[in-house]
Amino acid sequence: MPAQIVRAHPVGYSDPGSLIEDLAVGVLVLGRLGDVVFANTLASAILAPIDAAGLTLDALGKELVRIGRWSTEAAAALCRITAAGSDRPCVVEENEGRALALTARARNDGGWVVTLDDVTHHRAANRIDQRDGLTGLASRGELDERLKAFLAAVQREGGQAALVCLDLDRFKAVNDTLGHPVGDALLKMVAQRLRSAVREGDVVARLGGDEFAILQIGGEQPQAADALARRLVDLIGRTYVAQGHMLNIGTSVGIALVPEDGLSADTLLRNADLALYRAKADGRGTFRFFKPEMDERMQARRGLEIDLRKALALKEFELVYQPQTRIEGDTVVGFEALLRWRHPDRGLVSPADFIPLAEEIGLITPIGEWVLRTACREAALWPDSITIAVNLSAVQFRGSRLLDTVTSALAGSGLAAARLELEITEGALLEDTDAVLAVLNGLRELGVRVSMDDFGTGYSSLSYLQKFPFDKIKIDQSFVRSMASDRDSAAIIRAVTSLGSSFGMTTIAEGVETPEQLARIRAEGCTEAQGYLISRPLTPEAARAFIAARVA
Amino acid sequence: MTETLHRLVYYSRNCLTAAPEAMDREVAQILATSQVNNDRVGVTGALMFNKGCFAQVLEGPQGAVETTFERIQQDARHGEVTLLSFGPAEARGFPVWSMAYVGGSDADEARYGSIAGESGFDFSRLSGERIFEVLHAMVLDEEQAAA
Repeated sequence: MPAQIVRAHPVGYSDPGSLIEDLAVGVLVLGRLGDVVFANTLASAILAPIDAAGLTLDALGKELVRIGRWSTEAAAALCRITAAGSDRPCVVEENEGRALALTARARNDGGWVVTLDDVTHHRAANRIDQRDGLTGLASRGELDERLKAFLAAVQREGGQAALVCLDLDRFKAVNDTLGHPVGDALLKMVAQRLRSAVREGDVVARLGGDEFAILQIGGEQPQAADALARRLVDLIGRTYVAQGHMLNIGTSVGIALVPEDGLSADTLLRNADLALYRAKADGRGTFRFFKPEMDERMQARRGLEIDLRKALALKEFELVYQPQTRIEGDTVVGFEALLRWRHPDRGLVSPADFIPLAEEIGLITPIGEWVLRTACREAALWPDSITIAVNLSAVQFRGSRLLDTVTSALAGSGLAAARLELEITEGALLEDTDAVLAVLNGLRELGVRVSMDDFGTGYSSLSYLQKFPFDKIKIDQSFVRSMASDRDSAAIIRAVTSLGSSFGMTTIAEGVETPEQLARIRAEGCTEAQGYLISRPLTPEAARAFIAARVA
Repeated sequence: MTETLHRLVYYSRNCLTAAPEAMDREVAQILATSQVNNDRVGVTGALMFNKGCFAQVLEGPQGAVETTFERIQQDARHGEVTLLSFGPAEARGFPVWSMAYVGGSDADEARYGSIAGESGFDFSRLSGERIFEVLHAMVLDEEQAAA
């Protein structure tokens, strides 16, 4: 142990100064006035060409800044070292990259002993973890450490900051279509742009994948974060050229402020993430500041998610069936299966509330399979003339299992393929024309019917009407509801029905509630109708009774 | 391995101040910067500008063109940069840096009538290919007039 060695060989040192000379750290001894009264050889070497003798730490720091060796932050840290009153060394990084650990110990006479230890190698060993390998930005761990250190300082001395989290919109598409080398090149360019947007002293980190975070230190908040977020949305959204490709991505940004949105690293990261989630939900390419109600909404969503994950196993889903009639002759031609979720505490949960969530967390696939099997089984009990329409989510449509699921649902129920009608929304058709057409044709080969749901609400799918022979077009209820007051709606219905008849497709109007509406859609050439005027959605038993009464 | 020659065309709005003297200064500065880049990384090209818009063609090795454009994108003074075209080129259209002013005077109007007619000096309505062609023709004219 070093202490014993010193005691065992004290005679080798003629004076304490000589002992200090042999230490492997730089030592500065400060007098009562704070001026350097002694510097050992290593300290002089570390500080050369500045001669520290007679300088206060303040003056020494200023000199180091003047010659470009240190940043002003490093000089400020040197000044604080005697005030901090802590044994924990403070590490400052010189502009050339050398890292110095500084400690200060008060002497009995009112002066100080300050040590300067070159810890560059020690730090370099940790560097691998501190830096993100691809972009050279700070790693998640490094951000965490810097954030914790900063928050500790804020709790002692006060201060403001913003934690800005961002991720890239459409990055996955670039990676998937052009490959990882282009994706990696793009991430590096994004990292460069982030660095160019921040001020010295801010920390820019890559959290993983296409997620980044910036700790913006100082500045008047929230104005500084607002300005930075605006700049990021503009800057990251500008076109890139990399490896011969033109690339367009965007970014969504969430911001949590120190101290009002949290004083722990975990809380701040979580709150910035919640704000980011909001920014994405609000259409991406924008930024949001954290607000406490975002947390509440998220908790509510999480609760719903937990319940939804259990709903299938607990048999809380049920199907109801709404009749569809041919307008000429008022005959029942089929039913649309509609999903209901009856939760013991929540009661009846609207599909508008849980379907988007189920799509987002991937539950829609098993739920959709259950719907398909249950509906086919029920329809198999009906007369052969009656069809069953089942809605498909865009997510199911994209998946590779759809054809297998449909085949097995038909086989399991014994329902004739021609009696099953799958309803696809316009949104599902948007994605990738060739893949979509392959699935549509696959369904057609199975012999099932395919209809286009909610026609006219989303994007024009007219090109699909040409490419794929849909059996039926479903006119969205919003047009039916407003056709009496809105001439445009009536015109749209007329256009769709004539389009349908020219392509040889049936047209059905949803949401028909009054005899007037029925008369109007009939006048416009619509062939089928569905809505409260004919019947509300019915339980399986009621649907069977409805059929027995009408189809006799 | 030599990188293939690439050409990039972009235009940008409102990056130049409206006052004529200030605009001259800024354009001179852009040209000077561009010429330095030329020496260093082998990028040449042409500038076309008027009061509201600024179009530039960059030609050179792929990597150098990409780096030059990225520097432009990171420059906060450039607002609304629109990339019109980027891809391999057979040969340089502008082996030395060139510039052309598309002003509003009658003389200019007569001279650059094709642009005025087609675009009302709105570069955004020209394709990358068209900007390149127009610039190329104008620069050839200048050379002949000087000879």
